Amino acid sequence: MNYYERPTPLQEQAYTEARQHFAEHLKQFKANCDAFHNIECNLPTTANDTFRAAIQSSGHIIQTDDGTQWQHAVDLTKITSVCHRRTEAGLEFAVVECLPLKSREMKDVLNSGHDAREVLQTFAHDQRKVFKLWKDDVTAQVNEYLGEKYPHQDMTIVTESFEIKLARAISERPAQTQKQSHGVRI
Amino acid sequence: MPITPESENQTAAPPAERLAYSVQEAADMLGINYFTMYRLIQRQKLKTCRVLRGKLLVPRTELLQLLQTDLR
Repeated sequence: MNYYERPTPLQEQAYTEARQHFAEHLKQFKANCDAFHNIECNLPTTANDTFRAAIQSSGHIIQTDDGTQWQHAVDLTKITSVCHRRTEAGLEFAVVECLPLKSREMKDVLNSGHDAREVLQTFAHDQRKVFKLWKDDVTAQVNEYLGEKYPHQDMTIVTESFEIKLARAISERPAQTQKQSHGVRI
Repeated sequence: MPITPESENQTAAPPAERLAYSVQEAADMLGINYFTMYRLIQRQKLKTCRVLRGKLLVPRTELLQLLQTDLR
Protein backbone atom coordinates (compact mmCIF):
# COMPACT_ATOMS: atom_id res chain seq x y z
CA MET A 1 0.00 0.00 0.00
CA ASN A 2 1.40 3.35 -1.00
CA TYR A 3 0.54 5.80 1.79
CA TYR A 4 1.52 8.73 -0.42
CA GLU A 5 -1.08 7.78 -2.98
CA ARG A 6 -3.59 10.58 -3.51
CA PRO A 7 -7.08 9.63 -2.30
CA THR A 8 -9.93 9.81 -4.81
CA PRO A 9 -12.74 12.34 -4.25
CA LEU A 10 -14.95 9.49 -3.03
CA GLN A 11 -12.32 8.40 -0.54
CA GLU A 12 -11.94 12.02 0.62
CA GLN A 13 -15.70 12.17 1.13
CA ALA A 14 -15.71 8.85 2.97
CA TYR A 15 -12.90 10.07 5.19
CA THR A 16 -14.82 13.24 6.11
CA GLU A 17 -17.97 11.26 6.87
CA ALA A 18 -16.14 8.67 8.95
CA ARG A 19 -14.33 11.40 10.83
CA GLN A 20 -17.67 12.96 11.75
CA HIS A 21 -19.19 9.62 12.64
CA PHE A 22 -16.29 8.70 14.94
CA ALA A 23 -15.72 12.22 16.27
CA GLU A 24 -16.39 11.26 19.89
CA HIS A 25 -14.00 8.32 19.63
CA LEU A 26 -11.24 10.48 18.19
CA LYS A 27 -11.83 13.19 20.75
CA GLN A 28 -11.70 10.78 23.70
CA PHE A 29 -8.75 8.92 22.21
CA LYS A 30 -6.70 12.10 21.84
CA ALA A 31 -7.64 13.38 25.31
CA ASN A 32 -6.71 10.07 26.94
CA CYS A 33 -3.44 9.87 25.00
CA ASP A 34 -2.49 13.37 26.14
CA ALA A 35 -3.32 12.52 29.74
CA PHE A 36 -1.31 9.31 29.45
CA HIS A 37 1.71 11.12 28.02
CA ASN A 38 1.60 13.53 30.94
CA ILE A 39 1.63 10.59 33.35
CA GLU A 40 4.57 9.08 31.49
CA CYS A 41 6.49 12.36 31.54
CA ASN A 42 5.92 12.77 35.28
CA LEU A 43 6.62 9.16 36.14
CA PRO A 44 9.94 9.71 38.03
CA THR A 45 8.43 12.56 40.07
CA THR A 46 5.31 10.52 40.83
CA ALA A 47 7.49 7.60 41.95
CA ASN A 48 9.42 9.89 44.30
CA ASP A 49 6.24 11.43 45.69
CA THR A 50 4.80 7.98 46.24
CA PHE A 51 7.90 6.79 48.03
CA ARG A 52 7.90 9.91 50.21
CA ALA A 53 4.24 9.35 51.12
CA ALA A 54 5.02 5.74 51.98
CA ILE A 55 7.90 6.71 54.26
CA GLN A 56 5.67 9.22 56.04
CA SER A 57 2.87 6.65 56.07
CA SER A 58 0.47 9.35 54.95
CA GLY A 59 -2.72 9.15 52.86
CA HIS A 60 -6.27 8.05 53.39
CA ILE A 61 -7.18 4.36 53.48
CA ILE A 62 -8.55 2.62 50.40
CA GLN A 63 -9.85 -0.92 50.74
CA THR A 64 -9.82 -2.80 47.46
CA ASP A 65 -12.38 -5.45 46.54
CA ASP A 66 -9.97 -8.24 47.56
CA GLY A 67 -10.02 -6.85 51.12
CA THR A 68 -6.51 -5.38 51.08
CA GLN A 69 -6.04 -1.99 52.69
CA TRP A 70 -3.86 0.58 50.96
CA GLN A 71 -2.92 4.15 51.72
CA HIS A 72 -3.44 6.68 48.98
CA ALA A 73 -0.29 8.46 47.77
CA VAL A 74 -0.73 10.19 44.40
CA ASP A 75 -3.61 10.50 41.93
CA LEU A 76 -2.76 9.40 38.39
CA THR A 77 -6.16 10.04 36.83
CA LYS A 78 -9.64 10.72 38.15
CA ILE A 79 -10.10 7.04 38.92
CA THR A 80 -6.57 5.66 39.33
CA SER A 81 -4.06 6.41 42.04
CA VAL A 82 -0.79 5.06 43.36
CA CYS A 83 -1.08 3.62 46.84
CA HIS A 84 1.24 2.04 49.37
CA ARG A 85 1.12 -0.27 52.36
CA ARG A 86 3.55 -1.86 54.76
CA THR A 87 4.05 -5.61 54.57
CA GLU A 88 6.44 -8.08 56.22
CA ALA A 89 8.52 -7.92 53.06
CA GLY A 90 8.71 -4.13 53.24
CA LEU A 91 6.85 -1.35 51.47
CA GLU A 92 4.48 -2.38 48.72
CA PHE A 93 3.09 -0.09 46.05
CA ALA A 94 0.08 -0.48 43.81
CA VAL A 95 -1.90 1.32 41.18
CA VAL A 96 -5.49 1.17 42.36
CA GLU A 97 -8.52 1.90 40.25
CA CYS A 98 -11.73 3.11 41.91
CA LEU A 99 -14.34 2.75 39.23
CA PRO A 100 -17.76 4.18 40.04
CA LEU A 101 -20.32 2.01 38.30
CA LYS A 102 -24.03 2.74 38.44
CA SER A 103 -24.65 0.03 41.02
CA ARG A 104 -21.42 0.04 43.03
CA GLU A 105 -17.83 1.22 43.15
CA MET A 106 -15.28 -1.29 41.93
CA LYS A 107 -11.90 -0.96 43.66
CA ASP A 108 -9.23 -3.00 41.98
CA VAL A 109 -5.45 -3.32 42.12
CA LEU A 110 -4.17 -2.92 38.57
CA ASN A 111 -0.62 -3.90 39.42
CA SER A 112 1.62 -3.92 42.46
CA GLY A 113 5.23 -4.41 43.55
CA HIS A 114 7.94 -3.31 45.93
CA ASP A 115 9.49 -0.72 43.63
CA ALA A 116 7.29 2.35 43.06
CA ARG A 117 8.97 3.23 39.78
CA GLU A 118 8.59 -0.29 38.42
CA VAL A 119 4.93 -0.35 39.42
CA LEU A 120 4.35 2.89 37.53
CA GLN A 121 6.31 1.67 34.51
CA THR A 122 4.25 -1.53 34.40
CA PHE A 123 1.10 0.57 34.63
CA ALA A 124 2.28 2.74 31.71
CA HIS A 125 3.17 -0.36 29.70
CA ASP A 126 -0.31 -1.83 30.32
CA GLN A 127 -1.97 1.43 29.31
CA ARG A 128 -0.19 1.27 25.96
CA LYS A 129 -1.73 -2.18 25.41
CA VAL A 130 -5.16 -0.69 26.17
CA PHE A 131 -4.62 2.07 23.63
CA LYS A 132 -3.63 -0.54 21.05
CA LEU A 133 -6.82 -2.49 21.76
CA TRP A 134 -8.83 0.72 21.38
CA LYS A 135 -7.03 1.65 18.15
CA ASP A 136 -7.68 -1.81 16.65
CA ASP A 137 -11.34 -1.67 17.60
CA VAL A 138 -11.87 1.81 16.15
CA THR A 139 -10.12 0.72 12.95
CA ALA A 140 -12.41 -2.31 12.74
CA GLN A 141 -15.44 -0.08 13.31
CA VAL A 142 -14.31 2.36 10.62
CA ASN A 143 -13.82 -0.59 8.30
CA GLU A 144 -17.32 -1.86 9.07
CA TYR A 145 -18.86 1.61 8.69
CA LEU A 146 -17.22 2.21 5.31
CA GLY A 147 -18.02 -1.33 4.13
CA GLU A 148 -21.71 -0.70 4.78
CA LYS A 149 -21.76 2.83 3.42
CA TYR A 150 -19.57 2.23 0.38
CA PRO A 151 -20.01 -1.41 -0.61
CA HIS A 152 -17.75 -2.65 -3.42
CA GLN A 153 -15.47 0.41 -3.07
CA ASP A 154 -11.85 0.18 -2.00
CA MET A 155 -11.66 2.26 1.17
CA THR A 156 -8.43 0.71 2.43
CA ILE A 157 -6.59 4.02 2.26
CA VAL A 158 -9.25 5.66 4.45
CA THR A 159 -9.21 2.91 7.06
CA GLU A 160 -5.43 2.91 7.12
CA SER A 161 -5.29 6.67 7.54
CA PHE A 162 -7.42 6.32 10.68
CA GLU A 163 -5.19 3.56 11.95
CA ILE A 164 -2.06 5.63 11.35
CA LYS A 165 -3.60 8.67 12.99
CA LEU A 166 -4.46 6.69 16.14
CA ALA A 167 -1.09 4.93 16.21
CA ARG A 168 0.66 8.30 16.03
CA ALA A 169 -1.45 9.64 18.89
CA ILE A 170 -0.26 6.72 21.02
CA SER A 171 3.40 6.97 20.17
CA GLU A 172 3.91 10.70 19.94
CA ARG A 173 4.63 12.78 22.97
CA PRO A 174 2.75 16.12 23.18
CA ALA A 175 5.78 18.13 22.00
CA GLN A 176 6.17 15.90 18.96
CA THR A 177 2.55 16.16 17.88
CA GLN A 178 3.18 19.68 16.67
CA LYS A 179 5.48 18.42 13.92
CA GLN A 180 4.13 18.60 10.41
CA SER A 181 2.94 15.32 8.97
CA HIS A 182 3.71 14.50 5.37
CA GLY A 183 2.03 12.41 2.74
CA VAL A 184 -1.64 11.58 2.73
CA ARG A 185 -3.82 13.95 4.74
CA ILE A 186 -5.18 12.15 7.73
CA MET B 1 -42.46 12.67 5.76
CA PRO B 2 -43.70 12.17 9.32
CA ILE B 3 -42.54 9.02 11.05
CA THR B 4 -45.42 6.77 11.94
CA PRO B 5 -45.33 4.46 14.94
CA GLU B 6 -45.20 1.56 12.51
CA SER B 7 -42.02 2.74 10.82
CA GLU B 8 -40.46 3.42 14.23
CA ASN B 9 -41.10 -0.19 15.11
CA GLN B 10 -39.20 -1.28 12.03
CA THR B 11 -35.92 0.22 13.31
CA ALA B 12 -33.36 -1.76 15.33
CA ALA B 13 -34.52 -3.69 18.37
CA PRO B 14 -34.51 -1.72 21.64
CA PRO B 15 -31.21 -2.04 23.52
CA ALA B 16 -32.72 -4.16 26.31
CA GLU B 17 -33.45 -6.97 23.87
CA ARG B 18 -30.03 -7.15 22.29
CA LEU B 19 -27.54 -9.88 23.09
CA ALA B 20 -24.42 -7.76 22.73
CA TYR B 21 -23.32 -4.15 22.46
CA SER B 22 -20.45 -2.23 20.95
CA VAL B 23 -17.84 -0.97 23.39
CA GLN B 24 -19.27 2.55 23.13
CA GLU B 25 -22.83 1.46 23.83
CA ALA B 26 -21.63 -0.61 26.77
CA ALA B 27 -19.60 2.35 28.10
CA ASP B 28 -22.67 4.56 27.91
CA MET B 29 -24.75 1.96 29.72
CA LEU B 30 -22.20 1.65 32.50
CA GLY B 31 -21.69 5.41 32.66
CA ILE B 32 -17.94 5.22 32.11
CA ASN B 33 -15.66 6.58 29.41
CA TYR B 34 -14.38 4.57 26.46
CA PHE B 35 -10.84 4.21 27.78
CA THR B 36 -12.05 2.74 31.07
CA MET B 37 -14.15 0.32 29.09
CA TYR B 38 -11.18 -0.87 27.03
CA ARG B 39 -9.18 -1.15 30.24
CA LEU B 40 -11.79 -3.49 31.68
CA ILE B 41 -11.63 -5.56 28.51
CA GLN B 42 -7.83 -5.63 28.51
CA ARG B 43 -7.85 -6.85 32.11
CA GLN B 44 -10.49 -9.44 31.19
CA LYS B 45 -12.97 -8.03 33.67
CA LEU B 46 -15.29 -8.02 30.71
CA LYS B 47 -15.25 -10.77 28.13
CA THR B 48 -15.86 -9.74 24.56
CA CYS B 49 -16.32 -11.38 21.21
CA ARG B 50 -15.21 -10.21 17.80
CA VAL B 51 -17.51 -9.92 14.83
CA LEU B 52 -16.60 -10.29 11.18
CA ARG B 53 -14.39 -7.23 10.67
CA GLY B 54 -12.77 -7.53 14.09
CA LYS B 55 -15.07 -5.17 15.96
CA LEU B 56 -15.46 -5.96 19.65
CA LEU B 57 -18.85 -6.74 21.11
CA VAL B 58 -19.69 -6.97 24.79
CA PRO B 59 -22.31 -9.59 25.64
CA ARG B 60 -25.23 -8.33 27.71
CA THR B 61 -24.62 -11.08 30.28
CA GLU B 62 -21.12 -9.72 30.90
CA LEU B 63 -22.48 -6.26 31.61
CA LEU B 64 -25.05 -7.61 34.02
CA GLN B 65 -22.43 -9.69 35.76
CA LEU B 66 -20.19 -6.65 36.16
CA LEU B 67 -23.00 -4.58 37.55
CA GLN B 68 -24.16 -7.42 39.81
CA THR B 69 -27.70 -6.36 39.22
CA ASP B 70 -30.80 -8.20 40.33
CA LEU B 71 -31.64 -8.86 36.70
CA ARG B 72 -29.46 -11.96 36.54
